[in-house]
Amino acid sequence: MEQFAMKRRTFVTGALGAAATLGLAACSGAAGTGSVQNASGKTTLTVAVWSYATTPEFKALFDAFQAANPDIVIEPVDILAADYEAKITTMLAGGDKTDVLAVKNVTDYSQYSSRGQITDLTDLVKNQLPASKLANLDAFNVDGKYYAAPYRSDFWVLFYNKTLFDKAGLAYPKNITWDQYADLAKKLATGTTASGAKVYGAYQHTWRSVVQAISSAQTGGNLLGGDYSFFTPQYQMSLDLQKAGAIMDYATEKNNKTSYNSFFEAGQAAMMPMGSWEISALLADKAAGKTSVDWAIAPMPQVSAGSKVTTFGSPTAFAVNKKAANSDAAQKFITFAAGEQGAKAVAAVGIVPSLQESAITTAYFANKGMPNDDLSKAAFSPDTVKLEMPVSPVSSQVDQILTEEHDLIMTGSKSISDAIAEMNSRVKPVIASK
Amino acid sequence: MSILTTRRQTAAAGQRPRKLQRRAALVGWSFILPNFIGFALFTLIPVIAGLALSVMSWNSYSTPKFVGLKNFQTMLADESFWVALQNTALYALGHIPLTLAVSLGLAMLMNHKLKGIGFFRVAMFLPYITSLVAVAIVWNMLFNPDGGPIDQFLRLIGIANPPGWTNSTAWALPAVIITSVWRDMGYYMVLYLAGLQAIPRELYEAAEMDGARAWQRFWNVTVPALRPTTFFVMVMLTVASFKVFDLIVVMTGGGPGRSTTVLSQLVYQNGILQGNFGYSSAISFTLFVIVLTVTLVQYKIQQRQER
Repeated sequence: MEQFAMKRRTFVTGALGAAATLGLAACSGAAGTGSVQNASGKTTLTVAVWSYATTPEFKALFDAFQAANPDIVIEPVDILAADYEAKITTMLAGGDKTDVLAVKNVTDYSQYSSRGQITDLTDLVKNQLPASKLANLDAFNVDGKYYAAPYRSDFWVLFYNKTLFDKAGLAYPKNITWDQYADLAKKLATGTTASGAKVYGAYQHTWRSVVQAISSAQTGGNLLGGDYSFFTPQYQMSLDLQKAGAIMDYATEKNNKTSYNSFFEAGQAAMMPMGSWEISALLADKAAGKTSVDWAIAPMPQVSAGSKVTTFGSPTAFAVNKKAANSDAAQKFITFAAGEQGAKAVAAVGIVPSLQESAITTAYFANKGMPNDDLSKAAFSPDTVKLEMPVSPVSSQVDQILTEEHDLIMTGSKSISDAIAEMNSRVKPVIASK
Repeated sequence: MSILTTRRQTAAAGQRPRKLQRRAALVGWSFILPNFIGFALFTLIPVIAGLALSVMSWNSYSTPKFVGLKNFQTMLADESFWVALQNTALYALGHIPLTLAVSLGLAMLMNHKLKGIGFFRVAMFLPYITSLVAVAIVWNMLFNPDGGPIDQFLRLIGIANPPGWTNSTAWALPAVIITSVWRDMGYYMVLYLAGLQAIPRELYEAAEMDGARAWQRFWNVTVPALRPTTFFVMVMLTVASFKVFDLIVVMTGGGPGRSTTVLSQLVYQNGILQGNFGYSSAISFTLFVIVLTVTLVQYKIQQRQER
């Protein structure tokens, strides 16, 4: 009996011990790895990026940086593009020590900077970078301070399929208006591709910016203003094109999760308003033999003829995590990425660098497969590039509302005027709350 | 004297069991402990922290600031909350009874001693173990109004204007409900099958002798005998319905517009996407209270029926 009790006591102690160990193990799992140098004495720099395999600019930048800094090894923290914002928010909230964060857009930037999650880089930006030549740098100005440096600056242009234009006997879309664009789209929506798929006059992706950001940029309407009547003409045109079958039906696009890139590469769209990042995809896919589309770019269509070219765009930047394990190496990387060497590296893979210099633009157009006609070159230097979404603490909330109502208009669930009235009434309290 | 002895005896007798009891309890606790630590670390503490956050303003990085009931006030004035609450309730109202009926029907069909019945049982259970993302994507294709098989079939049988399903504000929620019923029916079927097999055959024989028809046997033998199973299935379905998130995110993303946005999605949007963790916690706490209330009501009804 005594022996039995003894055994039991030992067992209880053992169980308690095991449980305590488990608890401790769970706790220690939360602590960071924080190793600054690896076995060979090199510094390991962690950089959070999205969809590393399909975003060639990151590898191009890392390779160039490592070649110039042999004592630093970059370890990409790869996150799926669609989940990037949510994942970074969660990582930062959990005290993650990843050194450098790629900042996907200005809305995210304003969240990270307003929460004090990223390091002040004002000194670096002003003294170590050619600040005056960095496009969109101003978007990162928060009360005179910079918490990130842009290395890439995209803007929207009109991609077009030369073969389809030639076949229809139409002139290429040189400095056209939206009315002319609509007219061309209807004319070009004929026939099928070699594989039997229907050819559309244009492809407009499901993003709300395709309608809303361009309206805002070209009419001066404020996306955070609470009065969205300036969207009306662009919505009317889009719905009209959809009804005429000149562009793919929004609902079908959404349902099939259509890839704009494959759609254009398959020759199913004669025109496509899209961001300049599409250039790098087209260059890469053509080099890999995945597509034979004969393409070029033109400036975005404008509201009225003969006006200057106004489009919208969005910069992409790098920031340093405030809890970075290697802050110095991180700043070194950012100086490199936003500077001339970084610009050359990204330009070589067809990405538009933020640094604007004629030498880099020349190098960009020298890429294999890049169209070199005058219209494409003109499209590359628009007169004005407005920011896709103004920076504000409420940007993300307003974006949600505008996206929902955009969905309702484009699926035909709500009339344009009703949806705009709804946008106005839903956005106003959000703006007032801040 | 005799009193004294008795008392001493009782004291001695009482002491041993108490000691034993304590020891037994300790052993019991030690068995629960490993699991409890996991539960406490990953469920209990976060739940309590969530409750505390619901009265604070916190963006995941700043110092949480106590704001009292402001988050709840914001919530009551937030139109999106009411839209999401309504959608969640509609989803539950569709999902719970339909799944219940379909899984019971299937269980009765599968409760026969036929050759190869095992194959059919497995086939019915398969949707439940299939990846939810795959389920959502395939059903989206089936529902596609532009050439999807469901609408093609509906046109074939003479419906000129079949529903737009996930593209239509009116039909998106029914489309999600149909998919979720299909996915869940196998799991609840198994529960019902176990319940059905526990009903003694004699009850049916006696009912038959009394001249009860199939329908009467169902209502007077099967349904009452399955009451504990039905209660369990109801509670599980209620909790699952109010928490629905993944299926909707993949199928419709809450759209078109807000027509399929549910409460757990609102929690995600406000917390993870917009960084308003305080407000997001207030919504999730409200969701918790709703689920708790509904479950308690079900429990009370069950107790009354037992009596």
